[in-house]
Amino acid sequence: MNGHDLTVLGYLAILLAGIVLQLLATRTRAPIPPLGKVIAWAMSTRTRRVGILVAWAWVGLHFFAR
Amino acid sequence: MMARPRRSRAARPSSRDQPATGREPGDEATDRGPGGVPEGGARALPSHLANALAGLREPIVVILLIIGFMSWISGKPLDGLLILLVGVSLAWDTGRRSRPARPAEASPAATSPAATSPTETSPAEAGPATREDAVLTATAAAPAPASVPAAGAASGAPRTPAAGGPHAPARWRRPALLTAGLAGGVLYAVVVGSFSRYSWPATVAVAGLGAVVVAIGWRGPRHARPAPPRPPAAGLALWGAVFVAGCLWELWSLLEQPNLATSSYAHPTISTLTDPVLSTWAGRSVVLAGWLGLGWFLVER
Repeated sequence: MNGHDLTVLGYLAILLAGIVLQLLATRTRAPIPPLGKVIAWAMSTRTRRVGILVAWAWVGLHFFAR
Repeated sequence: MMARPRRSRAARPSSRDQPATGREPGDEATDRGPGGVPEGGARALPSHLANALAGLREPIVVILLIIGFMSWISGKPLDGLLILLVGVSLAWDTGRRSRPARPAEASPAATSPAATSPTETSPAEAGPATREDAVLTATAAAPAPASVPAAGAASGAPRTPAAGGPHAPARWRRPALLTAGLAGGVLYAVVVGSFSRYSWPATVAVAGLGAVVVAIGWRGPRHARPAPPRPPAAGLALWGAVFVAGCLWELWSLLEQPNLATSSYAHPTISTLTDPVLSTWAGRSVVLAGWLGLGWFLVER
């Protein structure tokens, strides 16, 4: 396994962790909120709402804008 | 040293805070200080500066400024400029709203229990800026489209006759808007996806939409709804750990590159991994559609 594979594996592991958390939140009674509820709570103040929307806009700018 | 002017300003409210109806023509002389300097003129700058500095207490503001600076120095000046602009504006807005207001200056909407109770963060966990957030977002919430005919009827406005009964326009309006929005989104993804990455047409299209969405979010939630309860701390910590791990892994890959502008095969960033997908029209359109969908999801929260 080279460095490229290890790096990609790291991204996949983090993605898998997110999926597992979401499944635990929606399929079990574990005290884990679904991601949607976390985002809804995070968006409940103006500062956090603007920060999250700027992060979303930055993703688009990063991948497409010069 | 920078906080000294702010304390003096907080003790004496600015002329902007004075109610307009309480002024008489003869009161204009009170607008001038001992040296004859207009209150809202030369002294307005320190007030704005104090507001911006007060807003730096919000971690998100600091994060935005850091991201903007890093984007700027890593060869993305437009990204950096826009994010820095939003960060400074948010710092100013947050600082302005977190400054203590006298009860007499509070607006009727802000002091009304009906305006403060239904939505947003619970007061127990809210600081001054957060409490003001709750008031502003609750009062800025747009009414649901279905409520428009009912409001018109309550105010005595004439209703437009339509086939299928009085509620037919409201019943069809939401699906029609949804269909139009979906069609517009698909059209945007296809058209903007046809532009080359990092071209000016793509830049204008993405930056323009991003600015519009941020402006919409700045006004507050689009729909009034009860404040979501704070999720359990353990659950928040787990989601936070996943998010931070992703950021650190990306940062580690970025720092392992030869330099910030040269990608590495051995340590690819997410941008490097997605380059093959984004090199095709179809790939760009699909990614743009996903980006649009995520933006719509966030705006609707």
